[in-house]
Amino acid sequence: MAASATALTLPFQSGERRIDDRELVRLSQNGTEAAFEELVRRHQHRVFALVAGILHRPDDVEDVAQQVFLKAYLGIKRFDQRAAFSTWLYKIAVNECWDYLRKKKVRPLVYEADLSEEQVSRLDGIVSSDRPPESVSARTETREILDRMLSALPEQDRQLLVLKEIEGFSVQELAEILDLNVNTVKVRLFRARGRIMETYRRRLNSAGKGHAASAANRKE
Amino acid sequence: MPRDTGFGNAACERYEALLEDYLSGELSGEDARVASEHWQNCAACRDALQNAAASSRLLRAAEPSRDPGPGFAHMVMARIRSAEEHDNAGSYANFWQPFVSLGWRFVVSATFAVGLLVSYNAGLGHRLQPAGTQVRPIDSTDLFAPEPAGAPASRSEVLMMVADNSHAKY
Repeated sequence: MAASATALTLPFQSGERRIDDRELVRLSQNGTEAAFEELVRRHQHRVFALVAGILHRPDDVEDVAQQVFLKAYLGIKRFDQRAAFSTWLYKIAVNECWDYLRKKKVRPLVYEADLSEEQVSRLDGIVSSDRPPESVSARTETREILDRMLSALPEQDRQLLVLKEIEGFSVQELAEILDLNVNTVKVRLFRARGRIMETYRRRLNSAGKGHAASAANRKE
Repeated sequence: MPRDTGFGNAACERYEALLEDYLSGELSGEDARVASEHWQNCAACRDALQNAAASSRLLRAAEPSRDPGPGFAHMVMARIRSAEEHDNAGSYANFWQPFVSLGWRFVVSATFAVGLLVSYNAGLGHRLQPAGTQVRPIDSTDLFAPEPAGAPASRSEVLMMVADNSHAKY
């Protein structure tokens, strides 16, 4: 695709009407670079979320996400549009993540340290009250605490829970992206939920013991 | 029958997918009726469902990844252009590669041949010549004289000599 064949003012740029992905793909296949740039803009957030959910290494997410779009650009002429562009793109993203993990021989971050009493009580408040924290900073902190807990789970459980519950992918999307049966995704998700709650209760108990021990020390 | 998973709150295997659907609010019709009948009578599934609902509350309290912003698309397109330029430079190099390779082969072969000739000229050739071989001086007045008869080299030459001699007699 020629990089020079792009100096076009397209309707999706001026906001006259929204061109769907299918048309943008067709334009990209014909060499309109601006159409591909629009596809990047539309899907960058979800690709970022997907890559972040799988890699679990924030520093590398941007680089891998860029590589995903580069691969998509190089392969778009071979994309026959039988599946949705997003599904095709997410599959590229998943493969790119596996390749990255394999080449770099990195393992997802594992947090050895237990949660502090304060962190556990924050989670306890969320579980018991059904009132999620509202501020972005509180939610970001909750994410950090949950990432610690999630790292104790098997990798597939962690990915499914993050992608479904935190990043908002549907069961159907996860089945397509991960090449799994829809029912298999549901069952694995449900079991992963049991495991994360088991981890949570263990942390809760150990924090409770720590709290009791520190209270006893203070009495002495 | 609930699964034995090593941790508590395991649901019946047959109902796990339905429980997940229920959590997502996607259970309706006949499936919903069958599932609710089962949960009324199965404490393990009820516990598992409560547990799963708690996990959902917990995980949804976390902040999802942020949109990388408008600069990201520009960076992607810059990377694409850079990759294309690199690719074009690679294609140019690939076009000339066979010629460069052929040239190098020619240089190596020519060097080898020259080396061989020089070493032959420097005396190696003399040493390789058989000891019994003598160079016959050419008499400028008798250029068309027949070659002196030498010892036959093979059975065929012997037979040819016999045939020639017999022909000369008659």
